[in-house]
Amino acid sequence: MDNSELQPIIDFMRKLAPFDSLPEQGIKQCCQALTIAYYSKQQKLVPVDSNAPQLYIVRSGAFEVTTEQGDLIDRVGEGQYFGFSGLLSGEKVVNQIHILEDGLVYHLPAKMFDELRANSQSFDRFFNQAFAKRLRNQGTLQHDNISTARITHIMSRDLTTITADASIHQAALLMSKKRLSSLVVVDQEKLCGILTDRDLRNRVLAKGLNGDLLVGQIMTKDPVIIEPNVLMFEAMLKMSENNIHHLPVVHVGRPVGIITSTDLIRSQSSQPLLLIGQIERQNSLEALIKVSQKIPDLLHNLISSDAKAIEIGRILTSVTDSLTRRLIVLKQEQLGPAPMGFCWLAFGSQGRQDQMAGSDQDNALILERDTTAAEKDYFKQLSESVCSALNECGFPFCPGNIMAQNPQWQLTLQQWQQQFSSWVKTPQPSALLNATIFFDMRGIFGDLTLLNTLQSSVLKNTKGNDIFIAALSKNALQSTPPLGFFRSFVIERDGSEVKGIDLKHKGNALINDIVRIYALAAGINEVNTTKRLESLMAKSKIDKDIAMSLLDAWEFIAHKRLINQGQQFNNNEPVSNYILPDSLSSLVRHQLKDAFKVIHEAQGTVRLKFLRQF
Amino acid sequence: MFKQWWLQYKLKRLIKNSKLAALKAHYQYLLTHLHQPISDIKLLALDIEMTGLNHKKDQMVSIGVIPIINAEIQPQFAQYKLMKIEGSVGQSAVIHGILDKDLANALPLEEVLQWLFEQCKDKVLVAHHAQLDLQFLRQSLSSSGAHSFALLGIDTLIIEKEREQRKHPVLKTGSLRLNACRERYNLPIYNAHNALTDALACAELLLAQLNKMGGLDNITLVQLLTKR
Repeated sequence: MDNSELQPIIDFMRKLAPFDSLPEQGIKQCCQALTIAYYSKQQKLVPVDSNAPQLYIVRSGAFEVTTEQGDLIDRVGEGQYFGFSGLLSGEKVVNQIHILEDGLVYHLPAKMFDELRANSQSFDRFFNQAFAKRLRNQGTLQHDNISTARITHIMSRDLTTITADASIHQAALLMSKKRLSSLVVVDQEKLCGILTDRDLRNRVLAKGLNGDLLVGQIMTKDPVIIEPNVLMFEAMLKMSENNIHHLPVVHVGRPVGIITSTDLIRSQSSQPLLLIGQIERQNSLEALIKVSQKIPDLLHNLISSDAKAIEIGRILTSVTDSLTRRLIVLKQEQLGPAPMGFCWLAFGSQGRQDQMAGSDQDNALILERDTTAAEKDYFKQLSESVCSALNECGFPFCPGNIMAQNPQWQLTLQQWQQQFSSWVKTPQPSALLNATIFFDMRGIFGDLTLLNTLQSSVLKNTKGNDIFIAALSKNALQSTPPLGFFRSFVIERDGSEVKGIDLKHKGNALINDIVRIYALAAGINEVNTTKRLESLMAKSKIDKDIAMSLLDAWEFIAHKRLINQGQQFNNNEPVSNYILPDSLSSLVRHQLKDAFKVIHEAQGTVRLKFLRQF
Repeated sequence: MFKQWWLQYKLKRLIKNSKLAALKAHYQYLLTHLHQPISDIKLLALDIEMTGLNHKKDQMVSIGVIPIINAEIQPQFAQYKLMKIEGSVGQSAVIHGILDKDLANALPLEEVLQWLFEQCKDKVLVAHHAQLDLQFLRQSLSSSGAHSFALLGIDTLIIEKEREQRKHPVLKTGSLRLNACRERYNLPIYNAHNALTDALACAELLLAQLNKMGGLDNITLVQLLTKR
């Protein structure tokens, strides 16, 4: 050991993100390069030399960063930083640093800071002001971790193709020689069809046709395909929905591989689908309750496999959907077929396909027409049975009574249209506050044209409806994300400190609200927040940077929520969205803070764009 | 007023009588900076680990120094030396953690003293309970034949004692220990008894004290200097 090492400084820096990612030698160099100062409340402000920017590392004490006008930007305590915005932007420092509590501060010179950024990607990423980029990089890192669950890793890359003008005899020879059950048919390297064993059997042999036919005459044209980087679960779902066993993997129009049901079974990662399969096979409520007890385990496994939050939400929602459908079917076996067309709707998180642990049920019925007393009784029995069964399966009754079993929400298509137009045409912010979840609706069972008709009439009314959109915006802006963290507290934007944070209501829900406003204003029929954003971007209805940042922030916060829920599950605690700052590492605190900042800025844009408030 | 006059007189005599060039320069630095604000003065915080507390019979084992320049502590100039001793560290190893075998490559006392005074040619010494460290240094100066000279420095313990006594005339035992002092200023607690860590701890304490006393710009050297 070099005797002139200052152990207390090294020990402190070694634990501090992003310095913790530096090699031992790098940490020592930092400790050598920094200088130490002490600031006392009596001085009020930290004297900052705008010509010589440096990174300030708080060793003890507490400081507040404000604009020249006094608006709170940040409050920092031990292990946090200030002064890096000037270092990154090269602009003159105008922020003021107020001393809240006396303390020791390390100064890292700009030269060392720049050197570290140049030499260490993770260091640079940490401080890079472009938080979107930072969170994005975080996302790609996660991708690598869950590679095993993605189809790119199990698909056959050794793709055998044939052209449509070859004979099926040639195709059969090729398949037999290469021991393949399918061939991808290409036209100038682009996918144009698929030929499988089953096609040869059903469309050729069974019909007594001969081998001179051309592949193009027999193949399945424009087959169902899948993108390379999706979860295996989605490939399974696609196969099962379409009753097929082969899925060409296509990247920008070009086939890059093929995936078969055998590949998927071999990969052993079929848990969600197995669960859905089990649900579909059960014939009693008792059995369904028993199967649904596996949902928390499924969630837990998905969290530990480090799947993306958006995918976990989709998977869990698919399970809920299947469960709902199966419960309806079972009850209908008892009651007989419905006396008229109807559609079972899901709202809120099930509607948006972002369910997580502890979601309650939000559902309703659209009926084809007015009911007679007997018909009314049929839907009463059906809905009460399904809602209480869902409750027993772990999806508690909706506290706001937005449920299919509530006669208030068993409406005909026309009544629904009236209901929506009362919200849309004469919007009252208070009434609208409880109605927002209705705008995230999805059909689960029954006649989906009822839902589609309703949705397009609703969107026709919302699109470009400034008054309605303004009312919706006003509601959405009532809740703001926190400013950040300070010691074991969460700091709100008004400077108050609270113990913990509800990541759902102060995070994801705020993003859902923002994106819903954009989507309804643009008349977009997607309800999933990610899909809404993608669609908005495709139609240039939202600034791309904002949309990308919101996507990243949504995923990041949702991911933290899930990890927190996973830990609660492990510790046998009740699962909630509530998170305590003490449980977060310094890196996660910084990242969450950035995600909150994205929401705050997007709220500002909503205020400008839809409320015309400057 | 009297202290100022006395210090000037004392320093002039020390400069005149001192045979060691480095020491002469050190006294000269003190004299010319007596009325300068501390923020303009270079300081050298030091801590010494010893085999015991009696400067007449115990020996110095290690010394750590860290400068304060422009009111900021400078870790890049921190230094640490081990010193050769006669006999064994004995039971004192329990306190400072330095074993006899660690001293195999230690430097002779004279060499360390020369290095130290070279360091403080243009710096003012700072220590916590400076009396002890300065007494040991003075003792080794005289035993190495360089005559006995008074050493002056800033003592964070004396500063703390004066500040605390203004609040409560009777101080509790242990309330002036380095870590006890540091806690009052919201400074982190370090594992004590490594000479360099303690020198750093002392330097940080001095900055904290001076900031509380009105800032480094508003206090002059003469206000802080104590003689041992």
